Amino acid sequence: MAYSGFRSGIIGWGAYIPIYRIKARDIARQWGFDERITDSIWMEEKAVAGTDEDTVTMGWYAARSALMRAGVDPRDIGAVFVGTESKPYAVKPSSTIIADALGISTKKLSTDLEFACRAGSEGVRLAVSLVESGAVKYGLAIGSDTAQANPGDVLELTASSGAAAYLVGPASESVAVFEGLVTYVTDTPDFWRRDGSRYPTHGEGFTGEPAYFHHIVAAVNMLMKELGLKSSDFDYAIFHQPNGKFPLQVGRMLGFPKEKVLPGIVTPWIGNTYNASALLGLAKVLESSKPGQRILVAPFGSGAGADAISVLVTDKVLERVGKAPTVEELLSRKKYISYAEYAKFRNLIYRNLG
Amino acid sequence: MRTYVVGSGVTKVDRHYERNYLSLINEAVNKALADSGLDISDIEYLVVSSAFTDSILNQVDPSTYIAQNLGFRKTRALTVSSGEVSGAVALDYAHALIRSGKARKVLVVGFEKMSEYPSWIINRVYSKILEHEIEGIKNVSPPEYAAMIMQEYVRRYGVSREDIVKWSIKMHENAVKNPYAQLQFNISLDLLNRALRISEPITMLDSHPIGDGAAALLVTDESITKKMNGALIEVVDIESSVNLPIYLRDDITYFSSTAAAYKKISSKNEIRLDKTVAVNVYDTYDIYGLLIIEALEICGRGEALKCLDEMPYLNIGGGLKARGHPVGATPLYQVHELRELMSGSSWVKYDGEISLAHSMSGPDNNAWLILLRRWV
Amino acid sequence: MKHSISIFWRLKDNHYKIYVTKCRDCGKAAAFKRLRCPHCGSQNVEHLESRGLGELINYTVSYYRTEGSEQYLPRVVGLVRLDEGPVIVGEITDVDPNELSASTRVEAVLRKYSSDDPNGLIYYGLKFIPIIKR
Repeated sequence: MAYSGFRSGIIGWGAYIPIYRIKARDIARQWGFDERITDSIWMEEKAVAGTDEDTVTMGWYAARSALMRAGVDPRDIGAVFVGTESKPYAVKPSSTIIADALGISTKKLSTDLEFACRAGSEGVRLAVSLVESGAVKYGLAIGSDTAQANPGDVLELTASSGAAAYLVGPASESVAVFEGLVTYVTDTPDFWRRDGSRYPTHGEGFTGEPAYFHHIVAAVNMLMKELGLKSSDFDYAIFHQPNGKFPLQVGRMLGFPKEKVLPGIVTPWIGNTYNASALLGLAKVLESSKPGQRILVAPFGSGAGADAISVLVTDKVLERVGKAPTVEELLSRKKYISYAEYAKFRNLIYRNLG
Repeated sequence: MRTYVVGSGVTKVDRHYERNYLSLINEAVNKALADSGLDISDIEYLVVSSAFTDSILNQVDPSTYIAQNLGFRKTRALTVSSGEVSGAVALDYAHALIRSGKARKVLVVGFEKMSEYPSWIINRVYSKILEHEIEGIKNVSPPEYAAMIMQEYVRRYGVSREDIVKWSIKMHENAVKNPYAQLQFNISLDLLNRALRISEPITMLDSHPIGDGAAALLVTDESITKKMNGALIEVVDIESSVNLPIYLRDDITYFSSTAAAYKKISSKNEIRLDKTVAVNVYDTYDIYGLLIIEALEICGRGEALKCLDEMPYLNIGGGLKARGHPVGATPLYQVHELRELMSGSSWVKYDGEISLAHSMSGPDNNAWLILLRRWV
Repeated sequence: MKHSISIFWRLKDNHYKIYVTKCRDCGKAAAFKRLRCPHCGSQNVEHLESRGLGELINYTVSYYRTEGSEQYLPRVVGLVRLDEGPVIVGEITDVDPNELSASTRVEAVLRKYSSDDPNGLIYYGLKFIPIIKR
């Protein structure tokens, strides 16, 4: 499958999900929620990063898989972006650590981006622009988070850890080409974390209608209008997944049947991986897609903004799936832990330090 | 020029919370001097050995402050620090001074103050005996190597893990008779199941304890010993060899630097060890004791456990396991125990002409041998 | 500040990656970048990057507490024979010690070695996990 007229695409992708899982019911029980709350938002379990994991280490794994699939020389990568809201260092880029550990060129742009859950997809957009302008040959965009939640907050049922990475390059080398990319952004304070605060604050119901749903619907409609497409033209639709319920709901609002949304859903089994959320869904769909299929991916970030991206799958996807662990393989690799272990791993227990 | 140990003294190995390092050293020095009839003013060189004073006591070159506080005037003073073999290296320095004729009366003092911080701090300090840039940064610690070595030994030679504790049981039996030992009590195999695990399968029962101590040896040439009566203990030779790190060794159950040092010292001095020769070896962990007596060719490979009952003069002081391991002093404790044994002032009677002290840093990373001879 | 800045910064090659020093004289190899061959002392060596795959040949479950380690305990430390030949020491992570066995195939992954909390550096480096897939 060759597409003419497209300038850039996905050369390689990679996913990472930590091995540990905690049942959503265990969290609900810990804090005295009615356990049925987990069904009401379709949450079964969430992934928990181990003590020795963070945004850098998970991002490294996902990026390495992307490089393995792409098979390019890391010295040809001219940009590395890490979208995260859980930087290990408040000041000092995560992207430089990952880039050095992967042997990526020192002649590069490299920065950490913050826009709640959609900084990773903004990284993809930046990489696309750099590649299409000729400024770089390849650009790497990573979404990685060890998402924080105030213990006992309903957010704790979903906030989890994971990473996804996309290497963007010339369309001719791509497993999927970018057909269109748009972003819709407003000042909508649905969710935030103040400087120096350990845990975010959110507007509960306000995160839904005026934030998540409004922005995604606006962005997707804008994309379809620009491309002259309708929802039936897409084979899959992947949305940001703060829980299991929202993506199905927004899909319905946009006219996507459940069958086109479900293949990209990962949150009920790993939680909301924030900057990796929709990007992991895309990875999962890419891994089972067929050349010629059209995929919509619409990440959302609080604050607020949504992207809508259309990609067309090429025949190169088939040979690259097996070169690194797939999302399915990472989903099935799991060990269950207790709330106490989760609290230890995620540093929720007050300890004397130093 | 021959080198003799004409005086020696040690403190009990213990958690001496109430005493500082100077107090421990003063006790050991007084005992060493009392033995010889010499005075502090006679000492030409003060050679101090310690492994961790910088980390634990915030003190570099303790020799200067020992000299200042214990009344050494115009004495040449220096500190030797070479990990767990510091004491052997200090004695080698003194030996070289005497042999070369540069000095006639050298006081070698070893000490360590291991109980000044809680165990998790001291464990970090002790782990500095491994290579920081590789093992230290990865948080690899000494008992973890001991654990892997024990597993490999059990697997290779088909001995049982329980049997290895025989070593520790024997060390505690010996320590009961040693008034300077840290752990003066007997242990039995049934404790193994309850023993705290340090690094599976290494438990507290397999490991040396944390303790403080000081030891002093007064080393001289013949000009001093001419006037002395009774048995004379000579430092005949000191030999050593370094090894590759554990992960680069073909066989982690063979302590090849101990073996290489033994080959040097045995061929040069035409001696051979057997089960009846008094040896004092570095059983930082019980499994290491077994590997050492195999590397010293006292027992065949994989057969050390069968030899233990036939070795009446093995670690008579209780070894590192039960006498204890005040690191910078330990090799000097070994020499002190052998000197007492050979000069007839020990609780054990020994007729042998030679004895050997073995020390090493880490798992055979750097092995040192001290050969002693009795002259009657 | 407990973690040195410059020591670790200089050592990135030996911790962010696995190199093998191969001797052109004696033919032997050793883990890590080295100035000379540790086996024969030759300076005629080359440094090859390992793929980070190997087999676990020995390991221990460690409860040994060292300052700053409490959050990571118990740890599994092991010896891994790299596919390139040499053996390397390292931590095995993401494993249930009761389910682990020697001869497990492992892959190197970037993890936190230690963290000089709350204000100092994080040391990152390679550990091993049972291979996810290759």
